[in-house]
Amino acid sequence: MHGRRVLVSGMGGELGSLVASLLEGEPWVGAILGIDVDPPRRRLRRSEFHLIDPSDNARIADVVTRFDPHVLIHLAVWEPDARAGTTAAKRLTSQACHSILAAAAEAPSLESIIARSGIEIYGRGRGALTRPDEDAPINPSSTYGRMLLEVESVARDVGERAGVGVGILRLAPVLGPHLPSPLGRVLRQPAVPFSLLANSPFTVVIDSDAARAFVVAAAQGATGSLNVVAPGAISTMQAIRRGRRLPIPLVGPEWLFARQISYLLGAPVPEHVMELIHRGRLADGSRLPTVLGFAPRVTAHEVIDRLYKWEAIVRIPTMQAA
Amino acid sequence: MGAVIRLPSSWYPTDSVDEWGRDAHLIERLTPFAAMRWSVDVGGAHHLPKRSGALLVTNSWRFALNTIYSAWALSDATGRPVRFGGRSDIAPFGPVMQRIGGLLGSPAEIGGALRAGQLVIVSAASSAHPRRAGAVDPALIAASLAAGTAIHPVASVSTPFGRAARVEVGQQVRVRVRQRPLDDVELAGLVRRQIQQLIDGAGES
Repeated sequence: MHGRRVLVSGMGGELGSLVASLLEGEPWVGAILGIDVDPPRRRLRRSEFHLIDPSDNARIADVVTRFDPHVLIHLAVWEPDARAGTTAAKRLTSQACHSILAAAAEAPSLESIIARSGIEIYGRGRGALTRPDEDAPINPSSTYGRMLLEVESVARDVGERAGVGVGILRLAPVLGPHLPSPLGRVLRQPAVPFSLLANSPFTVVIDSDAARAFVVAAAQGATGSLNVVAPGAISTMQAIRRGRRLPIPLVGPEWLFARQISYLLGAPVPEHVMELIHRGRLADGSRLPTVLGFAPRVTAHEVIDRLYKWEAIVRIPTMQAA
Repeated sequence: MGAVIRLPSSWYPTDSVDEWGRDAHLIERLTPFAAMRWSVDVGGAHHLPKRSGALLVTNSWRFALNTIYSAWALSDATGRPVRFGGRSDIAPFGPVMQRIGGLLGSPAEIGGALRAGQLVIVSAASSAHPRRAGAVDPALIAASLAAGTAIHPVASVSTPFGRAARVEVGQQVRVRVRQRPLDDVELAGLVRRQIQQLIDGAGES
């Protein structure tokens, strides 16, 4: 079990960097290699990083083949309006899942794939289950949900082709102190729009719990789908009140203007966040502790409280020469 | 960024929604209004499991809101949230019903709640007479059997103008250890008969 080579796609993102830093402390992990279009967001001591565009199939194949990973943790998923706009996010996610997963399938030592997905994959169309578990029908109703469906499909196909187990972690909306999140940005505005007719409940997960779930899943070679959600739920109005923001109740057509204004203020409201505000987003996370022996610790209320406490700008004093 | 506004905290707590969207505080606030309409007498609540999930099936009379007042009265009697199936999924009614404990009526939704260890009350088919039990949906019984939870018949009797109402919970319906095809259909018929017996035994409300 010792000395496992772990490939982390999407290491440049906050979640990827966090997973890599946790992997560095794991006794079973040997070499760690990361691929992303952005450099890692935290200091990593023994991880090797390659800045590669997901469209550069030849270079990705070369790096992955030479590394020959035992475990692939695929985190290269761009949430719309987090690090990239919806169109770019869709393109990057699709390219990354095809190029990196396909390259990993050719690695002779590959034993396990752990891929990131989200509870957006269940969809929130009319009649969709209030709190779907992992066996619930998948019927994505947003662009992000459909992107995640593609990631899951490709991961499963590659796993089948390579004869390795595939574990899918379906994360609730991830929030963290430095994590770019469209939901987090919307909720942190001074005035936050919410649906007066719905005020639906949703859940979230903090980035540290999500990252720990990936590390535990990789260590155990988890297979199948698992929801990763914080305990508890909160409604949009309650979240706004916890942050002591000004709630702006909206009913219908004025959402068009609210989205435009929010966009101009630097907090675009993508389709899946609109869906969350109007229809809510809950999921049953009870299978995770029974399968992995791990459960997120930070409750949905605590995540929201922390969201409002995080500094908007962290000022680092100038380094003095010794 | 600091606080933008400060609202009074007592009228609407910020942590009262549970993992299914039920708002215990809202129900507490609405209970006095519900008490103006119904004065519910509960019997047989001791039959219900203390921790595990169970499917409760009650009779339904048009516009009587049997499942809602039964769910609230049983929540009060058992100290556990009792959810009711059959909420709408259209705003604003759907979200409001969700906040007061409603679930969608689909067998998948009810089955999910039962697997999660919840007490869920659903109604039999609506009847034109307040003291007649309608047909029970076998798909809901199948969902309960799949979840491995107990099934209890519940009689809920009320009058259109009076406040007096009664909710009587029956003993757990006996289920064969070895399941056979059409067990759910047979059980649905049995549950309906047991609800009718409870209604007949409940007397006039």
